Amino acid sequence: MNSRFFLETEALRYAYRKQDDFWVINDIDLGVRQDEYLLICGPSGSGKSTLCRTFNGLIPHFYGGKIDGDIRVAGKSTLNQSVGDLFMHVGMVFQNPETQLFNHTVTREIAFGLESLGLSQADIHTRIHEVAESIKITDFLQRNPHELSGGEQQLVAIAAILSLHPQILVLDEPYANLDPINVRRVREALRSVLKQGVGVVVCEHRLSLTVADTHRMLVLNNGGIALDGPPDALLNRSLESFGLEPPLSVRVGERLDLTPVPLDIEALKSRVSHQSIPLDLRPDFPVLHSAGAKRILEVEDISFSMDNCSILKNISFALHEGESIAIVGANGAGKTVLLKHLNGLYRPATGNVRIMGKNTRASKVSQLARHIGIAFQNPNSQFFKLNVWDEIATGAEALDCFDAEWLQDLIKLFRLEPLLKRAPFRLSGGEKKRVAFAAALAPKPMILALDEPTAGQDWYFRRALGSLLKELRDRGQAIILVTHDLSFAEQHSHRWLLMAEGRIVKEGTPWNVMSDKTAMEKGHLEPTDAFRLFGYES
Amino acid sequence: MLFDCSVMKVEKLKMQKQFLDPRTKLLLAVFWAIGVVAAHRMPTLLVALGLVLAGVLVMGKGKRYLRWLRLVLPMAIFFGAVIWWSVDRNAGFFATLKLLNLTSAFFVFFSTTVPEDLGNALVKIGLPYPISFVLSTSLQFVPIMGRKIKNVLDAQRARGIPLEPGWAALRHYPAFFGPILIQSFQMAEELAEAMETRGFGCPGRTFFKDYRMTVLDWAAICIGILLLVIFIILN
Repeated sequence: MNSRFFLETEALRYAYRKQDDFWVINDIDLGVRQDEYLLICGPSGSGKSTLCRTFNGLIPHFYGGKIDGDIRVAGKSTLNQSVGDLFMHVGMVFQNPETQLFNHTVTREIAFGLESLGLSQADIHTRIHEVAESIKITDFLQRNPHELSGGEQQLVAIAAILSLHPQILVLDEPYANLDPINVRRVREALRSVLKQGVGVVVCEHRLSLTVADTHRMLVLNNGGIALDGPPDALLNRSLESFGLEPPLSVRVGERLDLTPVPLDIEALKSRVSHQSIPLDLRPDFPVLHSAGAKRILEVEDISFSMDNCSILKNISFALHEGESIAIVGANGAGKTVLLKHLNGLYRPATGNVRIMGKNTRASKVSQLARHIGIAFQNPNSQFFKLNVWDEIATGAEALDCFDAEWLQDLIKLFRLEPLLKRAPFRLSGGEKKRVAFAAALAPKPMILALDEPTAGQDWYFRRALGSLLKELRDRGQAIILVTHDLSFAEQHSHRWLLMAEGRIVKEGTPWNVMSDKTAMEKGHLEPTDAFRLFGYES
Repeated sequence: MLFDCSVMKVEKLKMQKQFLDPRTKLLLAVFWAIGVVAAHRMPTLLVALGLVLAGVLVMGKGKRYLRWLRLVLPMAIFFGAVIWWSVDRNAGFFATLKLLNLTSAFFVFFSTTVPEDLGNALVKIGLPYPISFVLSTSLQFVPIMGRKIKNVLDAQRARGIPLEPGWAALRHYPAFFGPILIQSFQMAEELAEAMETRGFGCPGRTFFKDYRMTVLDWAAICIGILLLVIFIILN
């Protein structure tokens, strides 16, 4: 083994069950230096999260299972050390900040690990203030972590680990649930962590959010290392086969034979003139063919308050057959609350919502479910049946509109045939989402609304979802997307409603909205790569 | 994400100065509970409830208390109705008032005590740390479970499963309990992972804060005992 590396694995294999021969990670030889920023990427199920959990001993000590080969931290095998021996060397931040924060204040959250180290009160205080200043969270030290935004929670989770002075910080999909402004905050924090001499390892699907920051990329596929090297050397290979979408700047750079390939739009723009950018690389946008189509949803000047806090203010818009709209905005802008008004889960304090001419005030939620199917962000909130067929059928049966032929049609559309007998809660993240979408469509609603459909999903899923949405639109179905994923929303919606502080601050085509800098700033959003490269032409 | 009003308000939690040690507050709550259980007269229970309500108002927790009362009051009334039906009307009123008194006293205790302080203070008197951690973390996760319950109800109702309160919903209760159970297990596993990665259970743990009983604490406990003894004798 090479002593340049702080963390090393040698012929590492792991299976979650002792009796299994399915190695989730297989024959991994890897070394991570303390001064590098490593991106681990690959399709869903490629073994990224499992590999990360071997770095700090959670695998095998917490998960059990069967492990072969060796993994060493600072020269010592983790197989002979407990997680308690390793946590001060390799810090780990998980995907879901909600369940990794379990104290009453941010100060207590950071103090928890320091208490485990057995530090004196004076040292604990010093480290809390040091880390809070370095990650820029001093403003909310006395706040309850569960009252913070997703990005702030992620920063607190990072601070709680960094205060332990680990030599390597590992983050499992840190951007999965964050809006663009919070992604930027976490990225800045990670760059600053690296400058302080802490190695950074990030697992992430979306290359455009990470490659410009990293020194090295590791592509996993089927549990093994498929590619390993600096991003500019790997990005000009065919990454699509590994479920990864190269950033737009890389695709343009390749076409123009730029070496090394530019890793972000700024780097590309600084190297080539605007005129030389090939326009055929501009993404395709959906075209609305059905001008004059029937209006199926009308939201008329609605307002809504909760606990004396005004959440929606004077919202109005309409939706037509075959149309797709995206409700975009930062965390806490009121998007999900607006969505819950569309099927009567919330009733507006003033104004009206009408679906197919029916006022939601005068209709039960179950009646409205026939007209609008909503799939919320977390499919686990709805699964309770023992197989996929029953799960999809249950809503339609409750509404007395079960149609076996339509269900078969949906199963084909969402490619669920091989999963029908499996338990829904045992499926992968992408499969669960497909089941939830099919369940929302089972009562044959005219409108399908999807809340953060692409969160934490790889490119395979995003591409498949894109084709599904197109097929639904072609059948005349109206679509509502509620999302932070602006590049997906740009490619799959005709119109955007940009929300900020409970209001629609801009409505129009995606590029029309992005060209309004004031509205984008109000919404705490940043334009997509495609808009930054091609949009100013329009 | 379910919109959280506090995000918009960006309301800072103020550092609360704790005048009494959590152990003292817990003992006083227990004394109160003993007194309430021992009370045999309706006016005594009404005065006791009045005192607790006055305390709630003085602490400025009236709105929170009303929200909490919305949950507890139906339970207390149901409990009282069962007693009325099986014993008599007076016993029913008595049971309702006692339950309200007891739960209100513990509302005051929990709303003035930081969960970690309670847990750590109990460790100081010999409770094993893992047990005190489970206690304080359970309190911390109550609002998170509340949000998860709401998300499950919304997700099921959105696809036509009628889970509105009422008898009709009983038939569909697996649609409510199934996802809640599965998510609770997932949450417990994720929490355990997060605790392990921050050294939970490592020997030699220190505490960020000192928990010392002051003269004020001892005085409060003595007065509490004295009042309880006098009350029981007079009662």
